[in-house]
Amino acid sequence: MNGNRRSLRNLILYLFLAAISIFCLLPFYWLLRSSLMDLVQIFEMPPIWFPKPVKLSNYTEALTILPFGRYFLNTVFIVVLTITGTVLSSSISAYSFARLKWPYRNLVFGILLSSMMLPYAVTLIPTYLGWSFLGAIDTYYPLIVPAWFGGGAFNVFLLRQFYMTIPGELDEAALIDGAGYFTIYSKIIMPLTRPALIVVGLFTFLNSWNDFLGPLVYLNSEIKYTLAIGLESFKGLYNAQWHLLMAASTVVILPAVIIFFTGQKYFIEGIAMTGLKG
Amino acid sequence: MRNILAISGNKKHPSGSLARNRKQEVLIGVLFASPAILGFFIFIFIPMIASLIISFTDYALVNKMQFIGLDNYAGLFNGSDPFFYKSLGVTTYYVLLSTPLCLLFAFSMAVLLNNDSIRGKAVFRTIFYLPTLIPVVASSMIWLWLFNPDMGLINTILRALHLPTGMWIYDENTVIPSIVIMSLWTTGGTMIIFLAGLQGIPRQLYESVELDGGNAAHKMFYVTIPLMTPTIFFNLVMGLIYGFQVFAQAYIMTEGGPNNASLFYVFYLYRTAFKFSKMAKASALGWILFIVIALLTLVVFKTSKDWVHTEGGK
Amino acid sequence: MKKTVFWIGLIVLLFTLLSNVNAGGDQEKSGKAGAKEVVTLKFTYWGGPDEKTAVVDAIKGFENTYDWIKVDAQHIAGDYDTKMATMIAGGTEPDIAYLNLGQAFPWADANKLYNVYDLIANDPEMDKSDFLDSIWYNWAPGKSFGTNSAVESMAIFYNVDMFEEAGVPLPPAKAEDAWTWDEFVHVAQQLTIDQNGNNALSSGFNPDNIKQFGFQFSTWYAHYMTMVYSNGGDYISKDGSKFTLAEPAAVEAIQKLADLMNVYHVSPSAVQAKNIPGGAAGLQAKKVAMKQDGQWSLLALGNSGMNFGVGVLPKLKKSVTLVLGAPTVIFSSTKHPDEAWLLYKYLADAQNVLNLVAGGLWMPILKDWYTKPELVSKWAEGNPAHPEGYKDAIMRQTLEYGVAGVEYYVMNWGELDSLVNPALASVWLGKKTAKEALEEVEEKANTLVTGRYGF
Repeated sequence: MNGNRRSLRNLILYLFLAAISIFCLLPFYWLLRSSLMDLVQIFEMPPIWFPKPVKLSNYTEALTILPFGRYFLNTVFIVVLTITGTVLSSSISAYSFARLKWPYRNLVFGILLSSMMLPYAVTLIPTYLGWSFLGAIDTYYPLIVPAWFGGGAFNVFLLRQFYMTIPGELDEAALIDGAGYFTIYSKIIMPLTRPALIVVGLFTFLNSWNDFLGPLVYLNSEIKYTLAIGLESFKGLYNAQWHLLMAASTVVILPAVIIFFTGQKYFIEGIAMTGLKG
Repeated sequence: MRNILAISGNKKHPSGSLARNRKQEVLIGVLFASPAILGFFIFIFIPMIASLIISFTDYALVNKMQFIGLDNYAGLFNGSDPFFYKSLGVTTYYVLLSTPLCLLFAFSMAVLLNNDSIRGKAVFRTIFYLPTLIPVVASSMIWLWLFNPDMGLINTILRALHLPTGMWIYDENTVIPSIVIMSLWTTGGTMIIFLAGLQGIPRQLYESVELDGGNAAHKMFYVTIPLMTPTIFFNLVMGLIYGFQVFAQAYIMTEGGPNNASLFYVFYLYRTAFKFSKMAKASALGWILFIVIALLTLVVFKTSKDWVHTEGGK
Repeated sequence: MKKTVFWIGLIVLLFTLLSNVNAGGDQEKSGKAGAKEVVTLKFTYWGGPDEKTAVVDAIKGFENTYDWIKVDAQHIAGDYDTKMATMIAGGTEPDIAYLNLGQAFPWADANKLYNVYDLIANDPEMDKSDFLDSIWYNWAPGKSFGTNSAVESMAIFYNVDMFEEAGVPLPPAKAEDAWTWDEFVHVAQQLTIDQNGNNALSSGFNPDNIKQFGFQFSTWYAHYMTMVYSNGGDYISKDGSKFTLAEPAAVEAIQKLADLMNVYHVSPSAVQAKNIPGGAAGLQAKKVAMKQDGQWSLLALGNSGMNFGVGVLPKLKKSVTLVLGAPTVIFSSTKHPDEAWLLYKYLADAQNVLNLVAGGLWMPILKDWYTKPELVSKWAEGNPAHPEGYKDAIMRQTLEYGVAGVEYYVMNWGELDSLVNPALASVWLGKKTAKEALEEVEEKANTLVTGRYGF
C-alpha cells in the first residue's frame, strides 16, 4: 500500500523531471534540426521535425563565410589568460581575506563585496574612455587585464568561504615548521581547495567565453573578433538565412558544451562543496 | 603551476618573535589582498567616480565637454525623455516577473533532485544545467527562432496539441513573459546553488520531524524552507542585480520592440551611449540604475532580518 | 620579496605575450614604396559578402594603380554605428569610411569630417557637377561631407510567373503609367491567395490562412516615406521647425499602407513577414508576388535565376521614388587627405566597382553613367540583374522623380525615428489608426525636431 503510493509518487516525479528535461533539451534539438536543413525546408508549413535530406554543407558554408577558426583561437587566447589571471589573483586575495589577520580586513572585504551589486553599465563608459585613453581599444587588454586583479568580487567571495572551512591548525603547524605564508598558500591551501578553484575556473571560462558586451565594445578589427561577436556579425550579414545562422550557433556552442562535460564532475560537486550561502 | 609558486616560499624565518610575525602577517596580508583591492580601485571605484562626473557634463563624443549640473538627471526625471520611464517600467516588470519565477522554478527543481529515491540524478542535473552554457548571443538566436509564430517550435507544439498559439516576442503584451520563459530556461545555475544549500541541511532535522509524526509538507515548511532562507536570500539578491541588467535579449531579439515593450534599461543606456553618442546622459542613466539597485538591495537586506534564518554564528 | 618578483615577472610575461599578439594583428607597412614614402590609409566599410568581395577587389586595383598607398580596409559586420562611435571616442577613427547619416551630420557639425567641396576644388580632374546633383550631403552652406557611396532607390520587384498564372497585367515600368492606389490594390487582391485557392476578391477568401501575398513591404521609413512623398506629405516642415508626419497627407499615405495588411490582407503583417524568407527567396518561393524594396535587391534576384521584373511603385498624387544611401566620408583627423581623396574618387568611379554596379547592388554616382549610352550599357542592361524595364522603372525614375529620403535633411533623425517607428508598430498591427498613433507622439516628436539640413 505504502509502496504503491511511493511508486506512484515516483512516477509522477519522473514524468515531471522528464517534462523539464524536454523543456531544457528541445531547443537544442530544434537548433540542430534547423542547422541541417536548407532554407526551403525551414520555411515549410507545417514545420517538419526531421531534416530530409540532412544538409551538412550548411556547416562548411557557415565556417567558410566567416573565419570561425580564427575567432575560436582568439576566444581561447582570451579565455586562457582570463582564467589563469582570475584563479591566481582571486585565490591569493581570498587567502588573505580568509586566513591572514590585518586591520580593517573585514571592512575592506565588505566594500569589495558591495561591488557585486554594481551594474556594469555604470562603469562601462568611463572604463571604455580609460582604455581608449591608454590606446587599448581594439586590443585584448580590456578583456584580460581585469581578470588579473581579483577577477571580480564573486570569485574572491566564493574562495574565501571555502578557505574559511579549512582548520586553522594546518597553517599554524606549517608556520611553526618554518613555512612562509606563500608556501602555506601554494602548498597547503591551493591543493586542498582544488575543487573550488576548478569551480572558479569554470565560472570564469563560461563568463569569458560568453562575454558579449566586452568584445562588442572593445574590439574593432574583424580579425580580432571572438566567437560571440563573430556570431552576432554573422547574424548581421545573413539575417534571414536561418539554416546558416543555426549552423553557426551550433559551432559556437559546441566547445563550451564539451568543456562542461569534461569538467562537470568537479563543477557541480565543487559548487555543492563550497556550500554557497548568503 | 603549483611547483612554480612553491619555489618562492619563504623559509627564512623559523618562528621569529611573535611581534615580528604579526607585523609580517599584516604586511603579507595586505600584499596578498592587493590584486583584489587594486582591481576594485582601478576597475570599479575610479570609473564610478568618473561616471558620476561625466553625468554632470554634456559629453557627447565629438564636442567640448561642459559642466551642465543636474540637467541630464532633470531631463530624465521631468518626462521630457520619452523612453526613460518606459524603460524603467519595462525592466521592473521583467525583474518582478522573472526573479520570483526563476527562484521558484530553480528551487523546485533542486528539491526534486535532492530526493534520494530518484535515480539518474546526475543526468537530470546535467540536463538542467546545460542551457546555462549557451552564450547569450547564441541562446537569443535560438529563442528568436523558437518564438517564430509560424515556423517556431513553440507554436508548432501548441498547434499539434490544439492549443491556442501566441505571437510571443512579436506582441507588446507577451514579449516580456516570453523573455522570462527564456530566462527560466537558463536557470540551472541557480538550481545548482540551491542544491548545494539543500545538501547542507542536517539529516537529523528531517528525522526528528518524522519522529514527531510530521509529513513531507511539514518537512518542507519547518525544515527545508527555513534552513534554505540564506541561499534563497543570496539567489534573490543576485536575481535582482542581474535582472535589472538584462541586455543581450533586447539587443539581439527585439531591438526593444514591439513599440518599446522590451526597451530594457541597459539596452536603452547602450543605445543612448553608442548609437546617439550621448555619453553624459548614458552615465546619468547608469547612476540612476545603480541607485535603484542599491536601494532595492538595501530593502531586501533590511527585511532579511525577519525572514532569513541564521544559524547561531556566522 | 620573491613573491613580488614572481608577480612582476608574470605580469611582464603576460604583457609581452599580449603585445606580440597585437603586433601580429596590425601588419606592418610592406616596403612597396617606389620613389614616394608608403602611406597607409585606414578604410572601414560594411556590407554583405558580395559587397565585401567587390570592395576588396577594388582596393587591390587601387593599390596597384597608386603603388605608394596601402589600404588597411576593415570590414565591419554587425553594429556599425557602435563601432564608429567607439573608434571616434578612442581617437582611432579611420581616414576614410562609410558612415551612417545619424552620425555623419553631428560629426560634421563638430568638424570631424572633411569638406569634400574643398578637395574637389583643388582637383583639376574632377568637378562637383560630375556627380548626380541629388546625392550630396550638405551640412552647412558650401560644406559637404560627400555623396552616397552608391545610389539606391525604392521600386517594385515582382515574380513574372505569378502574374501570368493569375492573368494579371504586369506592373508598369514608366512613371507616366504608374498605377493609382485603387488599381494597385485591385491587382494585389487578385494575387493574394488563401490555402483553398481563393483570391482576396472572392467571397470565400480566408484571411487567416493565406498562402500567397500580393504585395510585401517593410515597415522602416524608406517604405512608408515613399508613399508619404507621393501623397505630398513630409516628415518635417520645409523650415525644419515642426514634425509633419501627423498631418493629413502623411497620415493618409501611412493608413493606406496599413490597410493593405489589416483591411485588404494583401500584405503580410510584420509578424507574418517573419515566415517569408528574405531577399529573393520570398518571391522565388511564390510566397509574395510583388515586393517593395531597394534597388540593391537586384543582386539577389539576379543571382537567383528566377523570372522577375521591376516596376514603379503606385502613386497617390504623383509618382516618385525615394533615394537613399549613406555617404563615404573623409575624417578631418587624417594625415593623408590627398591619398584619401584618391581612394574616394577611385571608389566613386563605377568602372572600378563594376561588379557591384552590374551585379545590381549599387547604382553609379557619376552622371555620365546615367546619360552616356556606352556607359549605361555596361551595367543597366544585358545582365541577369537588370531586366527589361529597369532603365525606366529604376534608373530614370531615380534621376527624374527621385526624392532624397529623410536622412538627407532631418536633423536628429535617429532619435526621431526611435520615437516614431515604435509608435507606428501599432498602426501596422491595426491596433490604432495612423492618425491616432501619430497624434499621440506628435508633441514629443516636436521636441526632438531640431531643424532641417539641405543647402
